[in-house]
Amino acid sequence: MARAPSGFDLETDVVCCGSGLGAVSAAIAAADLGAEVVILEKAPKLGGVSAFGGGEVFVPANRQMRALGLEDSLEDGRRYFEFLAAGYGSRAHREKLLATLHEAIEYFEDRAGVRWKACQGLPDYYYPDAPGTRASGRYLSVELFPGESLGEWQHRTFLTPIMPMGALHEEMYEWGGLARVTTWNYELLGERITKDLRSFGPGMMGYFLKAALIDRGIPAHPSTPVRELLSDEHGRVVGVRAERDGERFSIRARKGVVVAIGGYDHNREMACMYENMPDWHGVFPDHLHGDHLVFGTEVGAAIASVPPTNLALFYGYHIPGEEAEGKPLYRSSWECGCPHAIWVNRDGRRFCDESFYKDYQPRIRHWDGRRQHQPNLDVFLIFDGNYRERYPLGSFMPGQPLPEGLALEADTPRELAEKLGIDADNFEATLERWNRHAARGEDPDFGKGHFPWSVRLCGDPDYPNPCVGPIDKPPFYGIKLVPVSVGINSHGLAWNLDAQVMHVRGHPIPGLYAVGNSAALLDLGGGYQSGTSNARAITWGYVAGRHAARS
Amino acid sequence: MAETEYTTTTPVAMETLWDFVKEMDHWAPFVTGYQHHEKQSETESTWTLKGDVGVLARTLTFRVRITEWNGPERVRFELEGVNEPMTGAGTFTLSRESGGGPAADAGSAPETAAVPAPAPHKGFFARLAERIARLLFRWRHGRVERPGALADATTPAGGDRILTRMTFHLRIDPGGPMAPMINAMVQPMLVPAAEQLAERILAAVEGRPAASENARSVQS
Ligand SMILES: Cc1cc2nc3c(=O)[nH]c(=O)nc-3n(C[C@H](O)[C@H](O)[C@H](O)COP(=O)(O)OP(=O)(O)OC[C@H]3O[C@@H](n4cnc5c(N)ncnc54)[C@H](O)[C@@H]3O)c2cc1C
Repeated sequence: MARAPSGFDLETDVVCCGSGLGAVSAAIAAADLGAEVVILEKAPKLGGVSAFGGGEVFVPANRQMRALGLEDSLEDGRRYFEFLAAGYGSRAHREKLLATLHEAIEYFEDRAGVRWKACQGLPDYYYPDAPGTRASGRYLSVELFPGESLGEWQHRTFLTPIMPMGALHEEMYEWGGLARVTTWNYELLGERITKDLRSFGPGMMGYFLKAALIDRGIPAHPSTPVRELLSDEHGRVVGVRAERDGERFSIRARKGVVVAIGGYDHNREMACMYENMPDWHGVFPDHLHGDHLVFGTEVGAAIASVPPTNLALFYGYHIPGEEAEGKPLYRSSWECGCPHAIWVNRDGRRFCDESFYKDYQPRIRHWDGRRQHQPNLDVFLIFDGNYRERYPLGSFMPGQPLPEGLALEADTPRELAEKLGIDADNFEATLERWNRHAARGEDPDFGKGHFPWSVRLCGDPDYPNPCVGPIDKPPFYGIKLVPVSVGINSHGLAWNLDAQVMHVRGHPIPGLYAVGNSAALLDLGGGYQSGTSNARAITWGYVAGRHAARS
Repeated sequence: MAETEYTTTTPVAMETLWDFVKEMDHWAPFVTGYQHHEKQSETESTWTLKGDVGVLARTLTFRVRITEWNGPERVRFELEGVNEPMTGAGTFTLSRESGGGPAADAGSAPETAAVPAPAPHKGFFARLAERIARLLFRWRHGRVERPGALADATTPAGGDRILTRMTFHLRIDPGGPMAPMINAMVQPMLVPAAEQLAERILAAVEGRPAASENARSVQS
């Protein structure tokens, strides 16, 4: 453990580590109570995964739903959260999350100018099967954010190559979703890109960063990773040691240090160990190294976890030649949700509803105890000429030649199986069965297209089952997929209901807070629903910032 | 359609500049995102570039066809994406203009003064610095430098220096349904790419390291 030096290089009230949603929410909340705050960020740009992502925030019974006349209740929200948690995590954390969520979301709307809007037409993941679900309105996103209003920070905040820049949710649905990507209104998107009008994660983080940096004048330092926590002789965290241009310096935090530096997607060793997977890739550029688990445990912090089985892990690919921030870009694969596409394992067999990642995740991890073998770890995306004529692949439009090295191609299913190294007999039988049922829009084996959420995202409304279509038109294509994570991990720092980090001896560590993905998913438990990650980052950031400022 | 035009001037003689640019191998690595190129014939080549639109970089392959080879005054070319629905066209022109007085040929004069004339009798440190810069540059680019690039600047009897004016014009026409969006993303990248190419070519023929900031006149 690093002892605080007798003299610090700099001094402030609250140090916020990271510049994603958790850190910036904490910074705003602390500053509004009069605290002096500084934001330290490892990456050369601000906004974190939060700016790189979809920017959906899941809030049952939110204000915008009420205004639209969409019926919902907190009690139903609670029932759904309990369903998601599947008995894991901590009910007390969940209760407090739900009890504080509205206060936090409305605080940032009323006091920080975040312009929330309800995503109409996007159902809860498990709608209508799970208790307390709703068909529309629980996801909040933001109105278009003018990038220009970030002033000197305009070009030093993350944008995302993953989400369609400048589009709003309802527009995407109106234009027909991913399956109709050729007929979207690109004139409009071009105009918005030229004017730097941001939606999705970049839009959401635009509002939060503007409120912090421009409206409140909170200083932020990109390319300044926090390396160590500094404690006094009583074990209180009193500051951090950070690094800038190779030089280390110390900052005293009179009131607290908020750790919101995301997870460990780019620390391959840590990720494979904690997530129990033999391979791991992150969507976000290479900045998430699990530093919190290193410097946190150095000051005695406990690590907590929930099962990694069904959080937010996707399977995807890297398109040769595609990079973000100078590093290979990994994309999660949504193609598998469209008609004319399935997944098979190395045995040449299907094993899941490919359109619903909550179904495929646990099945990927299936362990055949008799053979001491995980048959579904090697996943192959299979599609055909029908698919290529109609739907995009990553950023490649229908019909556009695919870059070399991405997909294997063959004239017959058998030839494709041989090229991919999968069982050809099984594969032919799999396709034969799939095609027989697909002709009627059915998937009796795994129910592809069952969930309205999947249909909304990748379904083609022209099909009787919008997620099902035969794979019978040459050429046949196959891509070997890899695990692709969006920063949401199963292990993090243990924390209490004030967002204070817990010591291994069971008491809170004074002066130290953890929020966002650095804090174990005790509130969510064993499940995930899009938007809950951002919701918890905002809520606990708000709690931590206020608690620190008042201490 | 995304389009840019970039003009700059240099004291290097037009013929010297042409000697350099007429051989694409000389300047190919100066193209933003350059990966490699291959000449199929005198007029046809294939280029692989890393196209970077800020949020996303992607490897792009273009076929380039020279449609007019009228050096040193003008070269015209057309391009076509191999793996992208994209076409385009460009021109590269060289002309003489008098440094002090009005432009010697068609087109408007640069808004700001071009490179200051090299001092006739440089001090020892200035000459030393220039030598080091040339050496460094030669080492970095692994090429043999033609001597006397700076000395090419001609000063006619009237005292007006003759400058060479170099103009690039490039137009990219993305195709496919996403064209308007690609346009919006490509347009802001074209201007700095043209500036960078010109600056690097001039640095090479003038025998100095390429500056990161372009201090020359720009009309785009
Ligand atoms: C494509 C994609 C789509 C997504 N869509 C959604 C969605 O719609 N809804 C949702 O709820 N979630 C979504 N997520 C997940 C969500 O974005 C994140 O889980 C959430 O934003 C995490 O916020 P955070 O506060 O933990 O910090 P992050 O946004 O993860 O930021 C952490 C920051 O800390 C920095 N950092 C790392 N180490 C250090 C250090 N030592 N010192 C200083 N800084 C450091 C990192 O560079 C990073 O900027 C998505 C993610 C992706 C990738």
